[in-house]
Parts: sequence; C-alpha cells; structure tokens
Amino acid sequence: MAREKVGALIMLLFSIAYGLLATRIPLSFMAQHEVFTSRTMPYALSVLGALIALLILILPTADPEGKSTLKEKTHGMEWRKAIYLVLLMIGYGLIMVWLGFIISSILFLIIGFYILGERRIKAMLLASIPLVVLLWFAMSTLLGVYIAPGEVFYMLGVL
Amino acid sequence: MWDGMLSGMLTGISTTMIPLNIAMVLFGCFMGSLIGMLPGLGPITAVALLIPVTYGLDPTTGMVLLAGVYYGAIFGGSTSSILINAPGEAATVATALDGYPLARQGYPGKALAIAAYSSFSGGTVSVILLMVFAPILASVATSFQSADYFALMILGLTAVSAFAGRGGVLKALLMVVLGLMLATVGTDQTSGVQRFTFGSLELLDGIEFLMLAMATFALTEALSIVLTRDASSDSLKPKMIGFKSLKVTKKEFKLIAPTIARSSILGFFIGVLPGAGATLGSFMAYGMERNLAPPEEQAKFGKGSLRGLAAPETGNNAASSGSFVPLLCLGIPGSGTTAVMLGALIAYGIEPGPRMFTDSPEVFWGIIMSMYLGNIFLLVLNLPLIPYFAKLLAIPRNFMVPMILFFSLMGVYLVTFNDFDILMMVFFCLAAMALRLMNFPMAPLLLGFILGGLMEDNLRRALMIYDDSLSFMWQRPLTLGINLATLFILFFPILRSLLKSRNGKADPTTAV
Repeated sequence: MAREKVGALIMLLFSIAYGLLATRIPLSFMAQHEVFTSRTMPYALSVLGALIALLILILPTADPEGKSTLKEKTHGMEWRKAIYLVLLMIGYGLIMVWLGFIISSILFLIIGFYILGERRIKAMLLASIPLVVLLWFAMSTLLGVYIAPGEVFYMLGVL
Repeated sequence: MWDGMLSGMLTGISTTMIPLNIAMVLFGCFMGSLIGMLPGLGPITAVALLIPVTYGLDPTTGMVLLAGVYYGAIFGGSTSSILINAPGEAATVATALDGYPLARQGYPGKALAIAAYSSFSGGTVSVILLMVFAPILASVATSFQSADYFALMILGLTAVSAFAGRGGVLKALLMVVLGLMLATVGTDQTSGVQRFTFGSLELLDGIEFLMLAMATFALTEALSIVLTRDASSDSLKPKMIGFKSLKVTKKEFKLIAPTIARSSILGFFIGVLPGAGATLGSFMAYGMERNLAPPEEQAKFGKGSLRGLAAPETGNNAASSGSFVPLLCLGIPGSGTTAVMLGALIAYGIEPGPRMFTDSPEVFWGIIMSMYLGNIFLLVLNLPLIPYFAKLLAIPRNFMVPMILFFSLMGVYLVTFNDFDILMMVFFCLAAMALRLMNFPMAPLLLGFILGGLMEDNLRRALMIYDDSLSFMWQRPLTLGINLATLFILFFPILRSLLKSRNGKADPTTAV
C-alpha cells in the first residue's frame, strides 16, 4: 500500500474518532438551542477530515514521492539510534523535576552524544557542562528567571 | 497616502534605531544565518527556536529579532546549499542547482558572494515594495468584517494547499484540517466549555503553539537527520574559503543585474500570495530566468550559471519580505514561518490585521524598517563571516543533533516550566515523524493550528450578525469575491486537468 494511502487511512480513523469524541463535548441548556455551539466546528472538521482522507484513499496517487510503500521508504533507516533518542527525551522530561535543570541537562547531552557514537569523554564533558551552566547563568542571573532546583536536593537536605 | 507613509517610516526609524533593536537585528541575522546553515534546519525551526528568547522583550524588539532570524535563515540556507549541496529547506533547493556546481568548479567564494548580493538586492527592493503596498492594503482592510476575515482565512488555508505541488493538494488540505482540529483542544473561549481535554489540567489552555512548532519542525528535523543516515552527513567539511575568493567582477555584476531586478519584483508579488512563500518565489524566478536566457546561457543552467544562481536567491529573499504583506495587513500568514511569527504576535497580545497598522504602528513600521537594517547587516557583516560560518558545517552530527534536541526542549520548558510539555512535545514529534514518513507536509498543519481559533471566532461572530444564516458568504460583494477566489484556487488543478484531457493530453495521475 502506498505510504500516503496508509496516512489517509489513519487520518480517516482519526477524523471519525474526533467526531465521536465531539459528541461528548458538554453543552449547557441554553447552548443546546443555539445554531453555533462548541460542537459545531469539531463536527464540521470531522466531516471535512474524513471526506478528504476518503478522497486520498479513492483517487490515484499523483505525487510520485507518495507512491512508495512505508517499507521501501523506511528501509535502512537508523531506527535504533532514533528510538534511543526518543526514550532519552522522555527520560529527560521525567527526571527534570527530580534532578533539576543543570544535572538533568548535562546528563541528557552526554547520553545523547554517546547514543550517536561519540566516545571521547573529555569532548562530551566540554561540549555539555559549559553550555548548560552558561544557559542556566544567562537565564537565572541575566534574565532573572527562577529555575527551581531538583526535588532530590530537598529530600537529601542539601537545600 | 505619502504623508502617512513618511510618518510611518519615521516611526519605524525611531523605533528601530535604538541600540537594543539594532543589536537585536544583528543578533537575529547572525543566529538565523547560523541555524539556517545547518542542513535540515530551515527558517521555521530557526524562528521557533528563538521565540523563547523574545518573551522577555517588548513586542517590537521581539518581532524585529524574529524578522532578522527569518531572512538570516534564508541566507544561511543558501550557504549550505552552495557549499555542500544540502539545502536547509525547500526555498533554497533552486539555489543548489547552480550554486553547488559553481562551488565544485572551484568558485565557492564567488557563488556565496553572488548569493549574498542577490539576497541583499532582492530583500531591499522587496522592502521598498512592502512599504508602498502594505499601508494601502491595511487601509483597505480596515473596512473588513468578520465574514470577510473568515473568508480570507479559508482563502489563505486553501492557497497554502493549492501551492503544495503535484498530488499534494489533498494532503496539504488534510493537514490544514488536522491543525484546525488541534486548535479546538482546550477551553472554548466563548462558552467556557472544555473540549478534548480528557480531564487533563495541562490541556485546559489548549496546546501551546511554540510547543507544536518545535515538535513538528525542530525535533522532527533533528530526528530525521539521525534516521536517514545521509552518506554526506558525517563529513560535511567544506573547503576553506578565503576572503579574496568572495570577489565578483564588474562583468559578472553586469550579467546578473537585470536578473536581480526581474526576480526581485516577481519574488515580491509571489510572496504576497497567501501560501506561496519563498519556495515558489525561488523556483518561479529560476524558471523565468531560464526561459528568458539566450540558448548559449540556457545551456549553462544547472551547470554553474551565475544567472541561475542569482535568480532563485533574489526570488526567495524578495518573497520572504513579500510574505509579510498578508501577515501585517490581514493577519493571515503567507507561509509556515510567518505562521510561527503570527503565533508570536498573538502571544504578545497584539491583534494582527489591519488594526495593527493604526493600533501598533511602532510594531508595524518597526518590522519594516528593521528589514532594511537586516539586509545591510547580512551583506556587510555576514559576508565577511562566511568563511567562519562554513566551519560550522564541519561540526560532527553526534554533537549537533543532541544540541538541537536540547535547545528545542529547553526553548519550551524555560517558557512554561512544565515537564508535561516536554512529554507532550515528544508525543507530537512522533506523530509528526509518522506523518512525514507518510509524505504529509507539516507547514499547513501549523498554519491551520494558528488560524483555527481566529477562524472559529470570526465564523461565530459572522453567524450572529447574519441571524444564524450562512448568507454572509455571498451577501457582501467583498466576501463573495474572496470566496470565488477560494473556489478558483481549489478547483484550478481539476479544471487544468480537464482542459488537458480535452486537448488529448490526458494524464490520469494529475487529478489532484
């Protein structure tokens, strides 16, 4: 199946789900008698989305780029590194509150460099620590933005 | 009219010529060139990455900075196109057609200098035209009503899709609809009802536009660099360029001068069209120049023609300035980048559109006048810095990609201080990545998202004025005219295909 058809199929299902969820948008008694309510736009968009997705599915694929299958397109891609980076970003979001901006950011950068093949420890430290400290200094001292320290420092009694 | 323009120019000069704003134009051009030069990163990413910096500034200074980033990024994109044949984005693809062969023939400095002079000329001519046309359009647009705005937004969104290229119209339209759907998430401002929040407090205010822009562009582009494992990506070491090689002879100037003049005007008017933007500007200028060139010059196109390099470079810069006309006068962005800038304006509490011309003249004229300054900075300061900028392309990818990811995540976190936003960014990045792999464009999504709220408000207001009747779509001649233009743009590909089949040149794949 051409990759843009796969996308259209997903978008068709998404539009239907969106339309169904739109029926759950609460309306006040007064709003129920109005022509334009909070549901009107979502309903219209759901129909429009489903219609366009259907047209893409039915009509022949005109874009030469879209004719290839997903398998052909993704063949030989560096999936492992990309997945590790995505997991790293999720981890960064989760540890930020606990370890604070400086430590979590330095860890994020060093692990990111490592995932992409860097092995020189000195280069990794030099590329991450000054950058993060400089950014923290610029934000907190020069721009006066308060960046809260990590929860772990409170738990350990350091702060 | 001229009195108004003159006083506006004076307002713009007095706003721009303060040390902070001059410094911001300079900083914007520098950062734009730097980010735009990195392969895979275009002006949308550059502007999105710099938005967090502008939140501490006043609206004029912030917008002046972002405008500098925009044309700096276009200029920077040309550098990577010429030196390593890696266009940062679609608008500089045409530059690579002749710029890269010229660099391979041993003239990288000359190619970069011609690109810089063409960008400067295109940008400057276009700003003059912008100064003349923007106030006229803005004064006409003051008589616009909600119905006209609603129709204009539909026109803008349709035009974005119509210029999507062969077979891309429906896909771009679908992405516009998806953007509009995402814009409905959060609390409905009129009724106070929650929509698609799934009980999450973080979604009550809706999806943050900066987060969506960073996720769909900066993060996705950085991950694409990792995914595609480009053979050239690990060794992007361009040859060292000396200052002497940046010289362009008088004869060469004479050759490209008419090209620059033609492409500037063409580029500007293409940029004014909603949705056309710098990409179409560069390709149309390149195509026009090739058609106008004598046969012997035509043969050089694609092999290092100076005219072939000057035309798209002038065209894309002129179109970039031209795309500010619909943004500043109507509040309708003409391209993905101006859509991000519109989001920034809204975040500042400025209502984009014709009233901005009278309510916030310092922002309106400040942006325009800063463009002059930006063009001069790009030429005078960036041109000598090219040899040093080029060294940036030698930074290994294993350092560059994590840094792009870090700055994107930080850009959002340091504005909202909400770690949920980081997780949501990753979610949108994955969704955008999947859509890109399935060949769906992202810029229309962003455009739909930014215009979604305004569109719903204007539709609601128009319906209230016209007693819940859809007759507002055709009762006012202006609204009717805009709607007819929309229909023409939407059905033009089908009409063209029908005409072709009638002439016996039917192509079954050109339906939409």
